[in-house]
Amino acid sequence: MVRLFPAPCASSGTGAPRSHARRVLAIAIALLAFTFPTGPTAAQWLGYATAGVPRKADGTVDMTAPAPRLADGKPNLSGIWASATSNRQKKPDDKPSNGSDVGASREMSNFGVDLPGGKLPYQPWLVPIVKERTENLAIDDPHIRCLPDNFLRAYGLPHMLKFVHTPGLLVVLNEMNAGYRQVFTDGRKLPEDPAPAWQGYSSAKWSGDTLVIDTIGLRDDTWIDWNGSVVTEAAKVREEMRRPDFGHLEVKVTVDDPKAYTHPWTVTLHQRIVVDAELIDEICLENEQFVKHTDALQSVPKK
Amino acid sequence: MSRFNAKTYRGCGVSTAFRAALLSLTASVLAAEMPARAHHSFAAEYDASKPIKLSGKVTKIEWTNPHIFIYMDVTDQKTGAVENWALELGSPNSLMRLGWKRDSLKVDDAITVDGTLAKDGGKLANATTIVLASTGKRMLAGSSGGNQVADTQ
Repeated sequence: MVRLFPAPCASSGTGAPRSHARRVLAIAIALLAFTFPTGPTAAQWLGYATAGVPRKADGTVDMTAPAPRLADGKPNLSGIWASATSNRQKKPDDKPSNGSDVGASREMSNFGVDLPGGKLPYQPWLVPIVKERTENLAIDDPHIRCLPDNFLRAYGLPHMLKFVHTPGLLVVLNEMNAGYRQVFTDGRKLPEDPAPAWQGYSSAKWSGDTLVIDTIGLRDDTWIDWNGSVVTEAAKVREEMRRPDFGHLEVKVTVDDPKAYTHPWTVTLHQRIVVDAELIDEICLENEQFVKHTDALQSVPKK
Repeated sequence: MSRFNAKTYRGCGVSTAFRAALLSLTASVLAAEMPARAHHSFAAEYDASKPIKLSGKVTKIEWTNPHIFIYMDVTDQKTGAVENWALELGSPNSLMRLGWKRDSLKVDDAITVDGTLAKDGGKLANATTIVLASTGKRMLAGSSGGNQVADTQ
């Protein structure tokens, strides 16, 4: 049996100090219980210990331990990842997540927040569109309407991504709408004239310990942030993905999309490892009520 | 009649400025405790300047994605009129990771809710915290208030 508290002390004779200590302990426990949310339970594999996690002597995760390797010697990108930054925190978090503190990234609202001028280099036609979407608080956001999130956007949303990495294939599972993305590392060429897809078509090769992923075949007007910035069918996206240590993943994103942007731009995204947690379904269409609740949405043309 | 039936909009007996400062501080503390998880823009649906406190009994629980909804009857102490309010919470996965279970709240439970009023004027609020009367336990409700959009726009 697991004991939550130390064994009772031997009687002091009077019982008074022990009684007082108990009262203090009870008050302390009550204060904690009434002030903080309850901790994760054992249900749904919440808190189930992730295998292979390097830990320090005190049991905490050793975030700077070497990254694991695949059988072919390349870095193994497997793991559950969540954003390591926020709009309040530019420096990547050096602590792991257990899933209860996953938040939106620094780039979630504005992918170009740290670029010169604080925004992406929009083509003139896109400027008023993004302005309108920003000002109307993204009420026509495809995400709100339960459509899939493009992988660029998924990095910054407060939903966990699970990477399953094999020598020939990297699969990214998204708990939001049970989404998936495939990145082939078997040497295949990108398709010619691909039918546009939400995640496009991704093929990758290694450059040292950096996985270089090239993606084409994205859908037009795919939102990549909450302000309504987009990528189009013309986009060529390169991700230079590296796992510098156990606890961090860096994704240097370069978007070359002359239809939407005046010149290519590059943004580096930061992820941190999530341990002792698992994906839990978040299927948007179950009971999405935002559209019904928001009067302003009534003015949005129905397609 | 339940002792938790008072419709207690923003309390009484203290200045509006004091209440606003207190609620702002509370919101800040909660935001620091738990990063918001928002499926949609908080500011498009709720008015951050209109905090609300509701007490009453749970009538229905929708443990659904992308957000949980709890419905409660609130009785006006002066008129006796009963109004049914809808409360929007976080997603099931976010609340489960905070320690919630599907049955953490049940129909007929007496609760007190702090939240933010909807802009549409309906009986809808975004819940920030819920206190279960039977145990006094205070539970974070996964409010999307204070999310990235609300902070930056």
